[in-house]
Amino acid sequence: MKQLLTKRKLFFQIALAFAVLMIVMFACSLQGTQHISLKSVFASSGTPNSINPDYEIFVHVRLPRIILACIVGAALAGAGVVFQVLLRNPLADPYILGISSGAGLGSIIAVVSGFSWTLWGRSPIAVFAFIGAIGTIWLVWFIGRLTGKANVTGLLLAGVVVNAFFSAVIMFLISVTQSSKVYSTIFWLMGNISEEDIFVLWTGAGFIIAGTVALFYISPQLNAISFGLDDARSMGINTSRIQLAAFAIAALTTSIAVCLSGLIGFVGLIVPHGVRLVFGPDHRQLLPLSTITGAIFLVVADTLARTIIAPAQLPVGIITAIVGGPFFLLLLIKSSHKTSWFNK
Amino acid sequence: MNIIEVHNLSFRYSQAEVLRNISFKIKTGTFLAVVGPNGVGKSTLLNLLSAGLKPDTGSVKIDGKTIGSYSTKKLAGKIAVVRQEFIPIFSFSVIETVMISRTTHYGQLGFETETDRDIVNEALEVTDTAQFASRLLSNLSAGERQRVFIARALAQQTPILLLDEPTSFLDLKHQVNIYDLLKTTQLKQGKTIIAVTHDINLAAQYCDTILLLASDGRYCYGDAREVLTVEKITDVFGVRIFSGKIRDESFFIPIGKSAKDSEKFGTTQGNI
Repeated sequence: MKQLLTKRKLFFQIALAFAVLMIVMFACSLQGTQHISLKSVFASSGTPNSINPDYEIFVHVRLPRIILACIVGAALAGAGVVFQVLLRNPLADPYILGISSGAGLGSIIAVVSGFSWTLWGRSPIAVFAFIGAIGTIWLVWFIGRLTGKANVTGLLLAGVVVNAFFSAVIMFLISVTQSSKVYSTIFWLMGNISEEDIFVLWTGAGFIIAGTVALFYISPQLNAISFGLDDARSMGINTSRIQLAAFAIAALTTSIAVCLSGLIGFVGLIVPHGVRLVFGPDHRQLLPLSTITGAIFLVVADTLARTIIAPAQLPVGIITAIVGGPFFLLLLIKSSHKTSWFNK
Repeated sequence: MNIIEVHNLSFRYSQAEVLRNISFKIKTGTFLAVVGPNGVGKSTLLNLLSAGLKPDTGSVKIDGKTIGSYSTKKLAGKIAVVRQEFIPIFSFSVIETVMISRTTHYGQLGFETETDRDIVNEALEVTDTAQFASRLLSNLSAGERQRVFIARALAQQTPILLLDEPTSFLDLKHQVNIYDLLKTTQLKQGKTIIAVTHDINLAAQYCDTILLLASDGRYCYGDAREVLTVEKITDVFGVRIFSGKIRDESFFIPIGKSAKDSEKFGTTQGNI
């Protein structure tokens, strides 16, 4: 007999997942082109005269990068959960409403206009991508609202069309500029995790953690919304408020992730699905577990990306698709006898 | 005591007016069926009664207060709705589905209390769904699923229950089961039940009051035996109707032009 989720069970699961995340982060921080030994990392932090290279690599290169992967993975997986339930569409991912093309357009505009300043350590590409992402999703939401409050199809169509339109504008800008700088944009758009400033990391982490906690707070209402807005409303849920809050948080965390690391595909699609297949659709459980699993997944993927063809590096987006795709299909086939969400 | 009062209610979509100046009062503990041809606004009326739509003119009062003055949460304490066959995209289990109706009562951290669990178990027992409480909603038959949604509405513990065609996809046995279940909750728990239905015969057997809506804006509201007559049904639905009686209850059978025995009936109609 399937038991209802209890506080104790949930706490235990979250603690376990968190422990796994810590172990994975630790293990991955020891992998890399340069072999480092833990002993010497903890031996000394070095003196101004003689720096300890192992400590330098561990603290200033490996750790920030792993923390970044962790933040971005968590953000994308959490946002994926939210978009899937709000759009009641299993194919939804954080980019479905045009964030990707909005971010792309923003970054191309930054390149074309040739800005060279930085904002909190972020390049103009990242800043413009953030503005593009958040602006696009607002535009899509606004258009979707015009088609009707509860009209999910209208929202999806608006997303698809805005996506196509912005993609065309991107192509246009690329054709007319023919700048060699365009290459850097394309590489950036493929999804790339690199070493980051500590201030940027903590700001990003702060937003993502706050967002996840807020989403957890409304997860029982998200369960009700899985049954459709009408049903949720007649069960006493203030659907427009919950929808707006969930949407805003997911859009913001996705935009932050895009700003930090470009477009990393697949995490926001397969992690929520994978977790749902194993643990069920209850958002009180799905949301925290997906967030942590997303972090684990991206830390591992990024470690592969920087070690597989070392000393060169692959864009992590390639790894997430190559590793995640087949893994997800296996999980899907294995569990399809007990779950069925798209043949009904 | 009237639990619902509808006064001069009108509603129009941009293309068509569906309800015009409808007024009626529902006594607490009544089982009301809303019947009428497709497109007369039965489901619209249900949405107006559950505040899913706002009336153009007129008012709906629940317990003496206008429906618009209730907060979403307060209204959910008065009215529970069972909508037409719907399967959520994510596979919740039966007990999870029923528990979701308690969402607004959850304690801190978003978990159900002991009371919520008792209420849900009782709803599962009453609807005879406790036996498959742990199964997934998507793995149930249509009849079982409908009972689960009724269980969910019961667990909401409201004095009023609205149902939109609760038996439309069900076989004879399950149709009767659902109406038996509704009748029991009406009599035992004193709930006011409003069901939109196409099944005039079930309505005649189980419901106390009938609201018959016609497509030209006329309507007829009253005791089931007075409203469901051959003349009225023929007039509203525009088909030949034959009616008979089993003890005190009437039944109605439509006969179309191409029915096998249509010729033999000629142009006659009425009570057999």
